[in-house]
Amino acid sequence: MAQEDFDVPMDTQEQEQDVDLEKIKLLPNASDDGTSASFQVIDEDHTLGNALRYIIMKNPEVEFCGYSIPHPSENKLNIRIQTYGNITAVEALHQGLDNLSELCVTIEGNFREQLEKVGTNI
Amino acid sequence: MSTEKEPIVHIQEHSKDRVKFILENVDLALANSVRRVMMADIPTVAIDMVEIESNTTVLPDEFIAHRLGQIPLVSANCDEGLRYTRDCNCMNGCKFCTVILSLQVSCSEEGKTMMVTSNQLEVIPQQDLYDDGAEEMSKRPENFGQPVGKDDAAAEPILICKMRKGMELKARCIAKKGIAKEHAKWSPCSAVGFEYDPHNRLRHTTYWFEDDVKSEWPLSENAQLEEPVKEDEEFDYNAKPNKFYMDVETDGSLGPQEVVLKGLQELQTKLANLILGLKAEPEADTTAHGEAGFGQAEAAPPGWAVPAGAAGATGGGWGQNQALTNGTGGGGAWGSTSPRAGGSGGGAWGGAASHTRYWWRMGCWC
Repeated sequence: MAQEDFDVPMDTQEQEQDVDLEKIKLLPNASDDGTSASFQVIDEDHTLGNALRYIIMKNPEVEFCGYSIPHPSENKLNIRIQTYGNITAVEALHQGLDNLSELCVTIEGNFREQLEKVGTNI
Repeated sequence: MSTEKEPIVHIQEHSKDRVKFILENVDLALANSVRRVMMADIPTVAIDMVEIESNTTVLPDEFIAHRLGQIPLVSANCDEGLRYTRDCNCMNGCKFCTVILSLQVSCSEEGKTMMVTSNQLEVIPQQDLYDDGAEEMSKRPENFGQPVGKDDAAAEPILICKMRKGMELKARCIAKKGIAKEHAKWSPCSAVGFEYDPHNRLRHTTYWFEDDVKSEWPLSENAQLEEPVKEDEEFDYNAKPNKFYMDVETDGSLGPQEVVLKGLQELQTKLANLILGLKAEPEADTTAHGEAGFGQAEAAPPGWAVPAGAAGATGGGWGQNQALTNGTGGGGAWGSTSPRAGGSGGGAWGGAASHTRYWWRMGCWC
């Protein structure tokens, strides 16, 4: 019994890996030079989509970024990125993700700082 | 980013179950993401399956199961202290992925109505049937999984049902980790206040009014923190909201500061997952277009088979004495397998233990 139990995790781990690989894919309409592309993200919604769209759009190298959820009952999120040509869409996406992550860290830091100031007066 | 001002957080009020703060110099999109993530993406523990041994109260099994599911349980450090059942290596629930609570109440008092409350739920320590030596257990606080407020005499317990003499309720509850995206009972927040532009300077909304907008629409208390709109002020259509008044109130399963911090961390986890996925993507750069993209597009559908298969398996569980009960709005997805069979199944089992699993989803399937 114990051995059987032991076999299970390997399988699940492999499955998880597979799922992770399909987290994001390139949609088949990217330009040849890669400066404009659409991506499809699985299992994400407006929570990520809108914030990511905003931060990518903030990048001065990016001409356009938009997102949509093509159908409300499919857990898919499409993101379109077009740049001015100095960076590729994939790079713009990477930068956007990094910037947003950094922003979250900053807010988290500031919140912690404030918490200390206020003190836990519970 | 470079020209942007640094985001500012200012905490106005902080108490046991509430934190009120102002988030400044961020975009509406981000503030809203923070709100959404706090409401729907933070894992907590909640009763997910109820095995009813005996129930002679006036409330039917599924009614009680539904009420039990919504009782907040102490979930501090839940993301490290408990696993999702689906990620656990055990066969059928273990101490690493479930918390078992038992409810054993009977009324023998004449002429008095007895209250069955959340205080009568006891956490049952689980035997080490399955133990992979992980350290989850050490990361839990002592009262992990207990109904919120059980150890606090001042807190009023949650009423589950009422009984008279001769009635009895015996149930074994299996609490699991989950997020509110699956079912609202897993939300650590009872409410999240989110306001910006209290004077409606940006005209993101139009107020309906009878005679006079100003007298008919009282200003919120946050309005005192911002300049009112002057009579002759010109409308700035480029203006963007910049100051967000947030008020996070929890049901006690997590502390409010924990909810905010976990929320921000959860948002980062989402980003990290995407970065990982992007790295895993073979040749996602400039070369990958056309055929490569298509190849992956075709690889996608089989992935959908997994959840469908899972649903089928749960349906099969019927034979094994499991009652799956669909709540309001749950309908669509489970459709063919469960609801009607649920009704008759429950009846047919009579005295036998019927496992009542309650599903109720946020929103609708339309």
